[in-house]
Amino acid sequence: MIRTQLALLRREFWEHRSMVVVPFVVAVLITLTALTGQISIDHKDLLDLGIVGATNMPDNARAAALSGIMIALSSSFIFAMWILTIFYTLDSLYAERKDRSILFWRSIPVTDFDTVLSKLLTAILAIPLITFAVIVATHLVFLLNISIWIDIRGGNPWHLIWGAVPLLDNWTATLALLIALPLWLSPFIGWFLFVSAFTKRSPLLTAALPIIMLPLFEKILFGSNVMAETFFERSVKMPLFSGLNNMELLFQEGEGFENFANAKLSLLSLMDFSGFMTNPQLWVGIIVCGLFSAAAVYVRRYRDES
Amino acid sequence: MGSLVCARNVSKKFGDLRAVDDVSFDIAKGRITGLIGPNGAGKTTLLKAVLGLTDCQGSLSVLGLDPFRQRKELMKNICFIADVAVLPRWIKVSQLLDFLQSVHQNFSRGRAEELLAQTSIKKTSKVRELSKGMVTQLHLSIITAIDAKLLVLDEPTIGLDIIFRKEFYGNLLSDYFDEERTIIITTHQVEEIENLLTDVMFINNGKIVLDSPTEDLPERYVELMASADGADKARQFKPIYERDVFGKKVMTFEGVSREQLRGLGELRTPDIADLFVAKVKGAAA
Repeated sequence: MIRTQLALLRREFWEHRSMVVVPFVVAVLITLTALTGQISIDHKDLLDLGIVGATNMPDNARAAALSGIMIALSSSFIFAMWILTIFYTLDSLYAERKDRSILFWRSIPVTDFDTVLSKLLTAILAIPLITFAVIVATHLVFLLNISIWIDIRGGNPWHLIWGAVPLLDNWTATLALLIALPLWLSPFIGWFLFVSAFTKRSPLLTAALPIIMLPLFEKILFGSNVMAETFFERSVKMPLFSGLNNMELLFQEGEGFENFANAKLSLLSLMDFSGFMTNPQLWVGIIVCGLFSAAAVYVRRYRDES
Repeated sequence: MGSLVCARNVSKKFGDLRAVDDVSFDIAKGRITGLIGPNGAGKTTLLKAVLGLTDCQGSLSVLGLDPFRQRKELMKNICFIADVAVLPRWIKVSQLLDFLQSVHQNFSRGRAEELLAQTSIKKTSKVRELSKGMVTQLHLSIITAIDAKLLVLDEPTIGLDIIFRKEFYGNLLSDYFDEERTIIITTHQVEEIENLLTDVMFINNGKIVLDSPTEDLPERYVELMASADGADKARQFKPIYERDVFGKKVMTFEGVSREQLRGLGELRTPDIADLFVAKVKGAAA
């Protein structure tokens, strides 16, 4: 069972190289931007001023600034990851039908349940873990890069960067966020898998239409916005940060920044895991995802592809 | 040992269309059965039912299992090639071997590598880089390396040139087949597999119109190329089918002994393609 599942996960990895390529491209873009930015800075004195400023900063503020940069870097990966997840799930059960390789996959002693499970696990676990690994690598390259710069200009990178940056806290929080996000968005993931299992053409359009049209019909027919609000809240308001939504945290404004400062620069302490795990909304979402996935298994098993 | 495949009153309907209509048959171990029928006769549907890819009415047992409900169990001992296009195009040969090794307990990687070494297929190639013939070679090598009891081939050589087709069936017999293994095969190119088959099953409009060991065919069927005055006399024996070849009447008889037809023209055993036409067209007439 576990051996089969691992083999199936590996097969997803082989087929969908974009799982690695997408975060890798984001990493390269970020690193290149950072490098060209530095090279093109004419005013070396500006940089020197920055170093002096950073040296005179209180430890707290320096850590906060570095944390902020790391969060900003991570956020582009998280955005890219969600786009990747959408395309991956929509393709996962569609491509094998389009090229008819489903006949080969079904000639192997693997159940439809195992196959769909492997796609689900790829979306909610494998893709986030790969993304996490690339984020960590990008952070390190980025920090190393500034360190070298600071060193060249006569600053002390140990003091300014490596002694100040709350790496472990930031990474643990990032990992938690990467795992929590797909769980929170799992009803969408389940829906995409289901669409990918049944649609005859254009999975993206088939998946998007009800999400757009249903709230519209509801508005026209009943004048209410229940569905629109449900979809919207599900999209942006993940109850992982106590009282904050993800956007506020990223922009660190108002209450969010105060909370951040009060939390002694620990991102982790801003997260409310037990609140998240006991949030009924989360579990409703997971159940919805389970139902859609079960429907995908059913369609793959019962539908005649001839 | 009983039969490997046992079908009793198996039907499969699509709306009003009876793709498979109340079919019963047995296939014993160690046989090579040709399932022959025109397009839309129900061959593929019947094979899909045998493979557990589609549900059906009636009682169908394959290797003692219910194919639809116990598909995973069944697939440990069944292989099939539906047609050449089904190997995923993105996969590398080495990945395919890795994957099968980890999910298929009856797959022998060593055997597969041995067979692939005899071809020009590189392990680093992706399926999409291989020619159609090579993909079939690859597929057959994999399947030969699986210690399966039943192999189902649905138009396995479609779109291949004659050399690959000959090679395919040659390898099938020399590398794959032995008395422990059973093959069911459908193809349009009946002539090419005629000598391979131990049994033939004709299917038309969802019904089986003939199910016989090939060795019994000469006894049951005879074809007469009637001499000028023999044709009328021969018609008394009620040929199931009659056709014109170069102005001569060629008649196919079922259950008429050669003794009775002697002197009315040239006698021979019909080949499978002719017999098929006789059974299908004769029934329609």
